Amino acid sequence: MTDHVSFPDAVQWAVPFFIAAILAEFLWITIKGRGGRYETRDAVTSLIMGAGNIASGFVLGFIAYAFFMWLWQITPLNLGTSIPIIILCFVLDDLRYYWVHRFGHRIRWVWASHVNHHSSQHYNLTTALRQTWTYTFTFMMVVRAPLILLGFHPALVLFCGGLNLIYQFWIHTEAIGKMPRWFESVMNTPSHHRAHHGRNARYLDCNYAGVFIIWDKMFGTFVPEQEDDRVDYGLVHNIGTFNPLRVAFHEWVGMWRDATQPGLTLSQRLAYCFAPPGYSHDGSRDSSEQIKKKHLDRHPSDRGTPGFEQFDKNPPNTRAKRA
Amino acid sequence: MPLEILLILVIGGIAGITLLLHLTGRSSQRVLTQGTARMDWRRHFPDDVVIDVTVSHDGHAALVRTETGTGLLWSLGADTVGRHLLDFDWIEHPNGFEFQFRDFSSPGVVVHLDELERRHWQHLMEPS
Repeated sequence: MTDHVSFPDAVQWAVPFFIAAILAEFLWITIKGRGGRYETRDAVTSLIMGAGNIASGFVLGFIAYAFFMWLWQITPLNLGTSIPIIILCFVLDDLRYYWVHRFGHRIRWVWASHVNHHSSQHYNLTTALRQTWTYTFTFMMVVRAPLILLGFHPALVLFCGGLNLIYQFWIHTEAIGKMPRWFESVMNTPSHHRAHHGRNARYLDCNYAGVFIIWDKMFGTFVPEQEDDRVDYGLVHNIGTFNPLRVAFHEWVGMWRDATQPGLTLSQRLAYCFAPPGYSHDGSRDSSEQIKKKHLDRHPSDRGTPGFEQFDKNPPNTRAKRA
Repeated sequence: MPLEILLILVIGGIAGITLLLHLTGRSSQRVLTQGTARMDWRRHFPDDVVIDVTVSHDGHAALVRTETGTGLLWSLGADTVGRHLLDFDWIEHPNGFEFQFRDFSSPGVVVHLDELERRHWQHLMEPS
């Protein structure tokens, strides 16, 4: 199928809105004296990462687009571009986003691209623009293949992906507390996404949603922001640089160094590339599960609370004592 | 959107926001005290038991001794970064010491120390 369908590049058209919203948030924080923090070099790094993300789209975007057009040519299905189909595509693409995002936190190869988005210790609207330059190398474009094979035109799928990213911009703020309860229960919000950016043990690997938080609730990864556990933003091991090149490539370099060190078996080398972040062949690093376990050793009262549900409220030694 | 308009928006936006933040005092570095340095180290390394903390006179760095070894904490903008002093080099610098880490995400930092501090830090970093 080669019929011509065209949609605007929504993210590019949103750039003036991004700038205006950043200025409005900064003004709000300055006047109110609360609702977030701004730091010059951190914000500039985030903005440069955002500009680089657009540039990498210009340079490398053709690879994904060529792949999508090839899929479009082999599929016999064409759902068209009516309003209900656009809405359906948006919802299904958001489900696609959930899984790509989850892979981005659980597979080091994909994390190497996504990590830069979490590398700021701040959380404001500039953090939303701290985006990857290396997404193409993760090959996560394959997760969009089912949508195109089902008959959604590539241009429509990319348009919905752009709208998804634009939605996620406004949730990167501390200036908004909680939205109305009905909204919080269905949609991704600043509160849900703050938890996602937390490096606290409780918030590791939660709230992967793009637009609809229901995916996290369906797949068991939802953790609500806790008033008594303030979100600490950044990485478990925070980076010590504002250099955009180091921000963009540090995890790729780290992965290369780990996987090519002498004396490893092939499976260990592969695990350094594809196991969850925190893997080490000698046990010298902690995965998010180990970080949570260590946290519970220090704070046993957190056992069974949000973010720690997978750990039994009564650990085995306690049960034995009771028996 | 035409490319030239996009470029103007992106470059102008970044330059304008940078200028605004700098002129409104958002470029100052975090200043550490004994208490905040200890707290920040625990934030970065919650498993560590801190023995003592030595903060540099300018307040932008601290040497942290823990039960498992020594670490360096330093200001990065309004925040801090910490590294255990395991895989690193330190070399003399006209203003103090330069720490170099074999870590692409954190290549190094120059810690400003006066002559007295320099000797004290050197003593603290020597293996006991």
